[in-house]
Order: sequence, then structure tokens, then C-alpha cells
Amino acid sequence: MVSPTIAQVVGLLREIVGTENLLTSASERIVYECDGFVVEKNSPDVIVFPTSTEQVARIVQACNTADIPFLPRGAGTSLAGGCLPVGGGVMIVLTRMKEILEINIRDHYAVVQPGVVNVWLTQALQGSGYHYAPDPSSQSACTIGGNVATNSGGPHTLKYGVTVNHVLGVEAVLADGSIAVIGGPAGEMPGPDLVGAMVGSEGTLAIVTRVWVRLTRDPQGYRTMLGIFESVDDATHAISAIIGSGIIPAALEMMDQGILVALEEAFQFGFPLDAEAILLIEVDGLEAGLDTQRDDIIRHCEEAGAREVRMAADQQERLKLWKCRKQAFGAIGRLSSSFCTQDGVVPRTQLPSIFKKIQETSKKYDIRIVNVFHAGDGNLHPILLFDERDPEQVKRVMEASGEILDACLDAGGSVTGEHGIGVEKIQYMNKMFRESDLQAMRQLRDAFNPDNRLSPGKMLPTAGACGMEQIHPGRQAAL
Amino acid sequence: MTTETLSLPLTETVTPQDQDELVQRVTDCFEQQVPVYPLGGCTSLDYGLTPQREGIGLSLAKINRLIDFPARDLTVTVEAGITMATLAEQVAAEGLQLPIHVPEADQATVGGVIATNWNGPARPGFGVIRDYVIGISAVDGKGLPYRGGGRVVKNVAGYDFCKLLTGSLGTLGVITQVTLRLKPIPPRTTTLVVPLSDLEQAEQLLSHLVDSQATPSAVELLSGEQWQNCAALDTESPWHLTLSCCGSEEEVSWMAGQLEKELQEQSLPAARQLSDDEHEQLWDKLVEFSADKEDPLIIQATMVPSGTTTFIHEARQLDPACSIQAHAGSGIVIVRFAEFPEDGLSRTLVGILQPVAAAAHGNVVILSNPSGREMTSRSTWGSIPAPLSLLSRIKNNFDPGNLLNPGRFVYP
Repeated sequence: MVSPTIAQVVGLLREIVGTENLLTSASERIVYECDGFVVEKNSPDVIVFPTSTEQVARIVQACNTADIPFLPRGAGTSLAGGCLPVGGGVMIVLTRMKEILEINIRDHYAVVQPGVVNVWLTQALQGSGYHYAPDPSSQSACTIGGNVATNSGGPHTLKYGVTVNHVLGVEAVLADGSIAVIGGPAGEMPGPDLVGAMVGSEGTLAIVTRVWVRLTRDPQGYRTMLGIFESVDDATHAISAIIGSGIIPAALEMMDQGILVALEEAFQFGFPLDAEAILLIEVDGLEAGLDTQRDDIIRHCEEAGAREVRMAADQQERLKLWKCRKQAFGAIGRLSSSFCTQDGVVPRTQLPSIFKKIQETSKKYDIRIVNVFHAGDGNLHPILLFDERDPEQVKRVMEASGEILDACLDAGGSVTGEHGIGVEKIQYMNKMFRESDLQAMRQLRDAFNPDNRLSPGKMLPTAGACGMEQIHPGRQAAL
Repeated sequence: MTTETLSLPLTETVTPQDQDELVQRVTDCFEQQVPVYPLGGCTSLDYGLTPQREGIGLSLAKINRLIDFPARDLTVTVEAGITMATLAEQVAAEGLQLPIHVPEADQATVGGVIATNWNGPARPGFGVIRDYVIGISAVDGKGLPYRGGGRVVKNVAGYDFCKLLTGSLGTLGVITQVTLRLKPIPPRTTTLVVPLSDLEQAEQLLSHLVDSQATPSAVELLSGEQWQNCAALDTESPWHLTLSCCGSEEEVSWMAGQLEKELQEQSLPAARQLSDDEHEQLWDKLVEFSADKEDPLIIQATMVPSGTTTFIHEARQLDPACSIQAHAGSGIVIVRFAEFPEDGLSRTLVGILQPVAAAAHGNVVILSNPSGREMTSRSTWGSIPAPLSLLSRIKNNFDPGNLLNPGRFVYP
């Protein structure tokens, strides 16, 4: 049953976007009740699919006039509830703004609409000698607008940085319905870096309707290696030795035995099932330096006690390895019906102690935990396996997750490296930041979004409250 | 008061001994509604509009400790008043660097470099300062201490104050402490110099570099009197393009060979590879070029790289004797005028050069104008690509009394 205000707004929205770009029935709305964080659900009152910036602006103006909340959504692959419509309202889905507007190789940038899927840009650039560097594991589904909202990472952030390092400017509809262009293809501009502040703001500052992204020169070559270790300790020592020697691999991923078993079942790659950890290491760049880097890496792995270091024989094998890695989360379904992925970060040298802590936590709560880490960045993805029909297990998963994230904070880290705060981790903001830090964050949000109608209930805990008590873990389907 | 701070209307300068005292000073100033002028190394006080309201200078000279340096994590946490030279020396002991090259590094502070978003010639290889700040602490204009980010290289919790404060010119907070990512110092760096007869040749080479197999970490286009006494460059050629390559021995020698081959294929003049001494000497000049305060006017234009040579051509038309350094791979042009423009800044900058840069999606700002003549918001800052109303709301929320560096930036 829609309230009178919503009904009036629906009429207005229909005029703006047309009937074909608007959903109101309960059965259609339920599809949009959550993102990859499926614990908390709430259907928006109406969903619109604008096809132009002007439409987005008019939608926002209509919401403001009617005083109802609104929020943007891309493909909905986010993992922390960033596009959960807290309090209902209007969901603005940007997937029909999906044009690549310009590719400019001479000046190393591309201009895209927010609904462009990350991998479409990769494909459009093939053969140009340039690429868009951020490659989140969900890149075949996630949109660049969503990447900007969450400041997405991916396996290659170690060398190339995260989304914010590749965004030069945005066009956005501000919370008051005005259209603003901030930054542009030239990148550096005088004054506070507003583009940088908007990237990763999880849809709470503005709705991005166009993005200028930096293009990066393709590397001449790659060397991709698989280091097989008897213990996680040995593997992490190898990581420290590699990076300590001055090599910055393009990617440095660790997978433990638990995840390897699932991957092997899914892909039959030939992973050793008795090794405690493997490192997936990739260096790229000029051919001239790659063999030396490869040899150095092999030596560091062997010195750290690697049982064996294998090389990807060719591009086909390299791509298969990456496919395994990027689909690791899909393979978890073979281990457990329900799982909960955490996203903590620790300084990379703390990896051995945090891994030990994860193992202890697993034993203490009798919850099986498997691990896939962006090890080079110190970004952990412990995956807690459970049966969601058992409320007692669910409670233990929540407690175990909390203990792991607390340990990350104790180690000087963060509770989220790339998934975001959203609604999922809002209760950790008080642990990571002082009240004065949160007050400063509210100062920034209020400058962009003074009435808090845009994506309310996200990222920042309500002042003075101790945050929403979370009663159920996530069951996430992708990294 | 030192001579460097004379351009500021200071009633006194205070030097807090630690961050707590600094927070207290700012709080006191807010209560008394006294403007605060943060002072780092005082190397960029002529950047931006000249403040008029009397206030206190807040020196960070004692807020300069190295807090934590876990070298194996490739990060360092320092107080904002540490100089770039001291930081460089400390981290070089572990083979690491913050690859941002700024003039007067023995005075310039880390906080000041972030506040002015100063980036040197090595942008193509190493990026800009915003890519390196992973944690930041500051005090807003009400005395509210706040921080963002943390000490890990990957972190998306909360709003990114590291970015907001980059380029904020001390107007949204006094930066007190930062955590930085570091990079290994490459084993080898070398520079090739290509003498060029005109801008057309420069354009040909620059367009070619887009597809080059080599990946130089700095690409500089140089011309004018200020480069004439530089031993690394020959005196006959009016233009020089320098290509600095860094990496392992193998990588660097491959790149040097490859670039020489590509120049030949393009029928461009042959390059000369500098000796290590010559490279050092040239690099020093490339970093310090913009810092000469004797010149009557120094401007910096930012645009897409393809606009660089057109912009330089226009600047030369206005002042045939000007000296030019373009970070040509990144679309940045620094022009040192030999004479203050006869037609004045509103005609020269606002009327001619700003539109030329704007046509290449860019902007022009004044880095230094010792005479102080015609320093308007428009001539000094050009057109900022962000709504002034939004900037002003942010400013007002962080500094409701307009006490932090008032009159420096474009806020009304």
C-alpha cells in the first residue's frame, strides 16, 4: 500500500522517465530490496531507471519536494548494504545510463556513464595499448558508477591503486537536484580534492552521472607464479621478503587450504590439496625486467620454505588462474550453504599473527573459516561457513566475525579494505574513529547532503546512538 | 617574524610544542575569532590570494616528529611539520622514498606539500601526492581535531579526509599528522635529452610517446633563458625534451635503447644520454624551477597533455623571453615571465591564457606574483571546476568563523 505522498511522486516520476523506466509492483520491487549483503532487506517504494543526467536531477528535485528519501544503485553487487533503501523511498537505478561516451588515448582518459559495466570498458580498450586498471572480482557485473561509490579495489590494487587513483572527475547530481561537474579529464585542479572525497562516499554525497577515468598503459608482459607452502607463516614471510626486496608485484594473493579444496572441485586446476597456503603472484611491466623479477620471487619463495613454485605456462593458463581466483567466492557454495565474508585490513607484516588469530577464533567458536587474502595489501577475506537455519551457529558467526575485526583494529588496521561500511559495519565506525572524527564526517556529509534524504542510514552512526545491533551475518555471493 | 612571512598580516607567531597545544591554540583562536595562518616551511606563501585580516601565525616547526616507520609495510607516519628533506633522508635509510619532488625540500613540510597539492616532474611514473596519503589528522576552524584513513594501504572506512585536505590550502583544517605510503627507490635512473628545433617537433615526439613501448617516469619540455646555463642541455637548440627512465639496470638500459630507436624511426633528432652527474644536476633544476621568487610572474597551467604545445605557443607570443618548463606527459606548464605582462593580468591570464587552457579542459593559476598587482580571485585561481556554493558550504561547516587562512582561496 503506497502512501499518498509516494503515489503523488510516482505520478511525477512517470512523467520524467516514462512508464517503461519505472517499477512499482511489489513483485518487481522485491528484486531491489538488498545488494550482496542480504541480511537486511527493505524494498524501495518505487524504482526508476533514468536515461539522462537531466532526468536524475528532476527525480531528485521531485523527491526533495515530496520530502522522501532516495538513493542510487548500480548493479547491486556491493557487499555492505550500500544500496539498501533504508526507510524506503525512491531508488534511482543507473544501469540504463550505460554509454561509453569517449575514449581518448592521446590524453589517457575515458568518459563513461555510471551504468557502464567495468569489463565493458576493458573490452572497449582492447588493442588500444591502454586499460582501465581497477578490476574488482565482480567486474563482469559491477558498474563503474558503483565502483566510484564504493572506491572498489580488486587483485591488482597493490601496484595500480584503487578506483580513486583512477578517477579524474565526475558529473554528479547533488542532493539539492543541481548538476555539478567536479574535476575533469585534466585531473589536478586547485582547491580541496572534492573528486577524491566523493569517491568511496557510498552514495551519501551525490549521485554520479558521468565519470572521467584515467587510462593506464598496458604492461608489455606478465609473469604469473603459484607458490606452494606448507604453512601460512612461510607464505607470509615470502611476501615480506618479496616486497622488502623492492619488488612491487601487480598482484599478490593468498589462498588457504580450505578455499583450495573448493576451487579444485570447481575448476580442476591441479591445485595441491595438502598445502596449507598458496600464493598467486603476478609481476608485470617491461619484458626487460620480468625474468629477473620472476627469478627473484622464486628465490624468495624458496628461501621462505616454499615446497614448489609453479609458473603459468602461457596466457591461457594465466587467465585460468585468475578465473579461479576471481570466482573463489562462487566456489564456496560447494563447502557450505551459507557464508559470511569479512574484509578486514592489517599492515602486511601482521599477516602471520592475524592468520593465527583467525585460526584460534575458528576453533573457539567451532566455525569453519577459509581464507582468501589480497595479501600484498594486507586485506583479508576470511569466509565464515555456517548453516543459517541454526540460530545458535548464526550467533557464533557474528561473535567470531566481531572478534576478527577487533583484532584487525588492534593490529592498527581497518574493518573494511574495499567492501565499504554501508549498513553492515556501521557499528564499527565508533570503534575505528573518535566522536570528533565522526562529527567531522557529518560536517562533510551535511555540506553535500544537508537534509540527509540521499542514502540515509549509511556509513555514519547516528550521533549519540551506539549503532544498530546486528543480529544476523551476511551470506555473500561474490567478492 | 621571518622575511618569508612578511606577506601575511601576522600579529604574532606561535610555535606549539605538540599537537595537543596546537589544538588548544586553534580552539582559543576560535573563541576569540582570531584568524589562524598555518605555517609550514613558508615556501608557498605567495601561492594564492594575499590574506588581509590580521591573525596569528601558527608554526608547525616543532610538530615535526617521525612517529612510526614500519619499513617492511612501506608506510611511514609523521607529524605534518617534518620537512620533505628530513623525511626523504629517514626513509632512504631503508631504501624507500616518497616520490614527490618539491622545491626547497629542506624547508618545505609534508603538511604544506599536501595542503598545496604540490607535485613535481615525476607524475607519469609515480603519480601525485594524493596517491600517497593514507591517513591524516587535522584540526578544523572550531578546534575540532579529526582524522581520516588509517595506517594501512587499503581502507574504505568513512569519508576520505586524506583527499579532502589535499589541496585545501589550510582552509579546512590545520594538518597535524599524516601516514604515507612509500615506494622502493629504483636502482637506476637516467635521463635522455632530445634537442628540438621547434614546437612542431616537440608535438610530434609527445604524440609518439603515447604509443611508445618505453615508459619514462618524467617527460619535460624546456625552453627559455633559465635553461641556458644548464650544462646538461646544449645551448644551440631552443627546445629540449627530457625523458627520465627509472627501474632496474635492465629496464633502464632497454628503455634508453628503445627510445633512441623510436626517435630514429620518427626521424627526430638523436637523444643524448646524460651522465649520472648531469642527470642529478638537471633533475635538481627541474625540481627547483618554479621556486625562483625573483621573477615578476610565475604561472602554472594544467590541462590535458595534448593541449601543452598550443598553450606554450600562446605563452611565448605574450612574452617571447619567458622561460618554460612543461611536465608535458601530464599537461602541466609552468611559465616564468621575464617581464610583468604589459597588458595586465586580466587581459593576459583571464583574457587569453585561461581560455587557451580551458579549451584543453584546463585552468591557469598564479604561483608567484611578487608585485601583488591585479591579484583577483579570477586571475589568481582561474575557474575552479566545482560549484562555489558547494565549496563554500564545506568551508562553512569546517570553519564557520572563516578563520583558517582567510582570503587565500576563492571562498567568498
